[in-house]
Amino acid sequence: MVSTLEPPVSALPGPRRADALIAIDHVDFYYGATQALHDITLGIEAKKVTAFIGPSGCGKSTLLRCLNRMNDLIDGTRVGRGTITIRGVDIHRPDVDVIELRKRIGMVFQKSNPFPKSIYENITYGLRLQGLKDKARLDEIVEKSLRGAALWEEVKDRLHTSGLGLSGGQQQRLCIARAIAVEPEVILMDEPCSALDPVATAKIEELIQELRARFTIVIVTHNMQQAARCSDQTAFFYLGRLIEYADTRDIFTKPANPQTEAYVSGRFG
Amino acid sequence: MPSDFAVAKRRLRLLGLTGDDAIKAFFGGNALVSVVVLLLITIFLFREGVGFFGQNRQNLAIYRQAGLEYVEFIRAQQADHIALTRSLADLRLRYLTCLTEERQMTLAAANEALAGFDDYAGKFSDTVEPLRGLATELTEMATAIKTKFLVTQDQKEARRQLLAEGKSAEAAKVKIDEVDFATELKPLVGTLPVYRDLNREFARRLVEVAAAAPALPTADLRDRMTRLQQHVRDYVAGFPAIETRLAKWDHRRPVPWWESFTAFVFGRAWLTASFWQDWYGILPLLAGSVLVSMVALMIAVPLGVGAAVYVNQIAGVREQKFIKPGIEFIAAFPSVVLGFFGIAVLGQILRAVSQLPGLSWVPGFPYSERLNVLTAGCLLALIAVPTIFTLAEDALNNVPRAFKEASFALGASRLQTITRIVVPASLSGIVSAVLLGLGRVIGETMVVLLCAGNRIAIPDFSSGLGVVTQPVHTMTGIIAQEMGEVVRGSIHYRALFVVGLVLFLLSLAINYAAQTIVRRYRISIG
Amino acid sequence: MSAGKHIFQSPASGFRRAERAWLWAFRLATYLVLACGLGVFATIVVKGSRTVFQTEAPFLNVRFLTQAPESLYVFDFEGRHYEQGDREHRAFVAAHPAAENVKKESLVYSAGGIFPCIVGTLLLVVGSMSIALFLGVAAAIYLNEYARDGWFIRFVRLAILNLAGVPSIVFGLFGFGLFVIFFGWNVSLLAGWFTLAFMVLPVVITASEESLKAVPKGFREGSLALGATKWQAISTNVLPYALPGILTSSILGVARVAGETAPIMFTAAYVVRDKLPWEVARAGDFFFQGVMALPYHIYVVSSKIPQNDYTERVQYGSAFVFLLLVALIATTSILLRNHLRNRYKW
Repeated sequence: MVSTLEPPVSALPGPRRADALIAIDHVDFYYGATQALHDITLGIEAKKVTAFIGPSGCGKSTLLRCLNRMNDLIDGTRVGRGTITIRGVDIHRPDVDVIELRKRIGMVFQKSNPFPKSIYENITYGLRLQGLKDKARLDEIVEKSLRGAALWEEVKDRLHTSGLGLSGGQQQRLCIARAIAVEPEVILMDEPCSALDPVATAKIEELIQELRARFTIVIVTHNMQQAARCSDQTAFFYLGRLIEYADTRDIFTKPANPQTEAYVSGRFG
Repeated sequence: MPSDFAVAKRRLRLLGLTGDDAIKAFFGGNALVSVVVLLLITIFLFREGVGFFGQNRQNLAIYRQAGLEYVEFIRAQQADHIALTRSLADLRLRYLTCLTEERQMTLAAANEALAGFDDYAGKFSDTVEPLRGLATELTEMATAIKTKFLVTQDQKEARRQLLAEGKSAEAAKVKIDEVDFATELKPLVGTLPVYRDLNREFARRLVEVAAAAPALPTADLRDRMTRLQQHVRDYVAGFPAIETRLAKWDHRRPVPWWESFTAFVFGRAWLTASFWQDWYGILPLLAGSVLVSMVALMIAVPLGVGAAVYVNQIAGVREQKFIKPGIEFIAAFPSVVLGFFGIAVLGQILRAVSQLPGLSWVPGFPYSERLNVLTAGCLLALIAVPTIFTLAEDALNNVPRAFKEASFALGASRLQTITRIVVPASLSGIVSAVLLGLGRVIGETMVVLLCAGNRIAIPDFSSGLGVVTQPVHTMTGIIAQEMGEVVRGSIHYRALFVVGLVLFLLSLAINYAAQTIVRRYRISIG
Repeated sequence: MSAGKHIFQSPASGFRRAERAWLWAFRLATYLVLACGLGVFATIVVKGSRTVFQTEAPFLNVRFLTQAPESLYVFDFEGRHYEQGDREHRAFVAAHPAAENVKKESLVYSAGGIFPCIVGTLLLVVGSMSIALFLGVAAAIYLNEYARDGWFIRFVRLAILNLAGVPSIVFGLFGFGLFVIFFGWNVSLLAGWFTLAFMVLPVVITASEESLKAVPKGFREGSLALGATKWQAISTNVLPYALPGILTSSILGVARVAGETAPIMFTAAYVVRDKLPWEVARAGDFFFQGVMALPYHIYVVSSKIPQNDYTERVQYGSAFVFLLLVALIATTSILLRNHLRNRYKW
């Protein structure tokens, strides 16, 4: 851990930017004429959990969706300035294939969205898209993914029933299993627990702890305790600006910025 | 694990497009189809229809050049006399009814008593004979000139075609008998002095005969006779004007370009395949269409909107469950089946109802034509109701629940809430529903073709509301009826396309109005 | 009702009575409409079933459903009353030469059946709905999935709205001008297909778009986030779920296509045609032949022949079969929809 050696200064774009897996460099982002992100610069390290926190409308989800270019799907959005590079590749370069990008960067949504297919088909969907047809291999991946998502024991007897028959927490874990089945490098989680009860939330958090060994995880959350519990680094956003980015421990114990302090201590947001 | 994301290599590109771009372009092309179809409709209606105005102008020009217009003045004069004779006949009928019903005379005795009147009427109608003779003679002359000219046209066409095929020798052989209208018309116009003499004599005779009216028994009849005599005097007073018109008439006066247009838009006659002159005036058809649609809306609006209010605001859930599908089921009735129902069942029922003695006070009742505006209107109403119902119900549904609840909370009754809150809030939606219902009705073909009676004439509005018991013809009906029988490219064929064009533009206008109203409404509420 | 006065008692005023009268007026309007619809339906069903069904086995008038229309001859011969179809009559005259000159009433289309009309209508419906569904669903996919707001889309939507309001007879004229004359297809199945397809296109597009909109956004995002291409996402995760809705709403289109007469009058329908559609010399001719169609046949038999007891049979019979056919097509679509809906649920 090198980060603690560096001074936690909010102006600094984040620890270990040089060797970051994902480097966000002076990014401005617009919805039509409204600027949603102002000059965001930060680096996200591989095999770590990075949490984006901040009050509603601060731009954290927008930034997350920039990372796999899901914002392309919304009319009138554009990156005004700056670059996002992943493994040194600018993801907005014209020769970057957005489909390939999304295969490498999985995403779990705020509202669990299993397809109205069987559990098995949900998991294999991404693999089939890539042309994988070998039944034995698919079975193997399904089991592995479900185990990875801590869901295997609960669903192994009903793999061919509809994914919509699961409980909310199970559905969200199914979505995580679906995302990890294609072996992405990064998993983006957009408030994955906001619609879940505390027990289900605890399970997802446990799962995140297990997944961090294999994947780089970026998680957007409203819940500061969650960020404190399961992330390594935390970025605090406010009104479309990155206010502070540092080790989670530091953010919660000795925030450098008074706004951060106000937020994490629950005085606003 | 792969180290970069620049993986464009796997996508096959054709002309710089990936497969996905091609798919998108394909779907986009399909979306364009509706625009293209709308354009094509416009283009083809114009393409086939626009030639009408040129041809109609020529039609009108021949009418003038061949002297038909000249003769028409005299024919009209004669027709007016016939109208007078007809009102005399009407007077006789009243006289007869008066005798048989009020004086309790037998039919034979009454007819005998009417001998004096009949003598008078006979003399009256005979006065026109010399004029009729002249009119017939002139009609033949004018028709002959027209035919001659048309033959020439055909010859020219034949030559043109031969030339187009490159057969110039044969083309030269085609004889063309040029028609010189001035010479041809000389004998026709030359009859003017004869006409003047004849007219003077006619006027003298008519006034003389008319004045010698027999005595009539009741004040009403006497009154009518006086009025008739006044009409005769007015008629005779118009003679000099006719003579001036005849004298001034000149076959060389050009037909201005707009006349073919106005003759169509304001033309009061749609007369085709006539030996004398074809007229293509849209007014009788438009009047028929509008009249039928109005009757239909008059019935459908209260029913459709009423049912929508009932289902949306009053009915219980269980009632809604069968009313809605029930009304939607009516929408699925094929219009031709409804038309058949009108011919086979409804026409008779309505006629029987109209002949009930207790209902004779209703304007237009009793009537004998079972296929008329009323029959068609009732059936069209059944077609319009589901449209109006569905759209109006949607509009009512869009009224926020909060409005209603607030009104109830203030102690308003159900009816008060409906009339003061719900209906006003959804009024523009309802109006647009009615407009779309109108569009549906005015474009409906089979019902009017089968049930409206198909008489091409502007309905007689003088009978007030009773006008709805008259048969009419409609724009849609005329296209359906005559399109199958016309020669492709003929003026009649083109005229039908122009009627179609009018119908098309009318439906676009109605649609536009409905959309505008809905849009305004959205702005006002948001 | 409790006795005694209290402050919440209903004021038994004229106002309340007026209110009740109004509510009843609304109710009356509703049930009047239903009664009219039912009246028309019942008349045709009752009178039509006399033609289509019979009291002895097989309980179905097979002749009416399987033969072509022919003329009916009604006459008295040697003290007996005869009603014979054309072919039967010719055989009869051959057997009894004396019957040749008997005074008889002949009524066209009043004997035989309506088989060619049924076939023609089915062909027209299947063909035009296939074209309309193909074009309509594709257009809806573009509008709902690909298009971004702009003048082009507004233009397309305006066109669709306006196309929906164009009277069917104008479609008939258009089809006549474009397909029959300009393309030179003459009166043919193909011309009728396209004319009808363009007529229902707005219905299909609107219906398809509604159904596509009803598919949750999560399905699209979920599959895109897994690296699906746009088309993969649509074809695997949107279309299957939208399909039931598309089919149901298209039933309305089917009813219109089957029921409209005006557009096919000059584009596809023949008053009478001896050959059945599959009796063609070359397969290519199939598309370029006119057909008999039920709605047009009903128009012909209700307007071109007199109304009497003999003609009534074929008139009501055709109308009844037609209604039944429309209902049948609609029911099939509903069943298909239910089948699909049971397969895909969310």
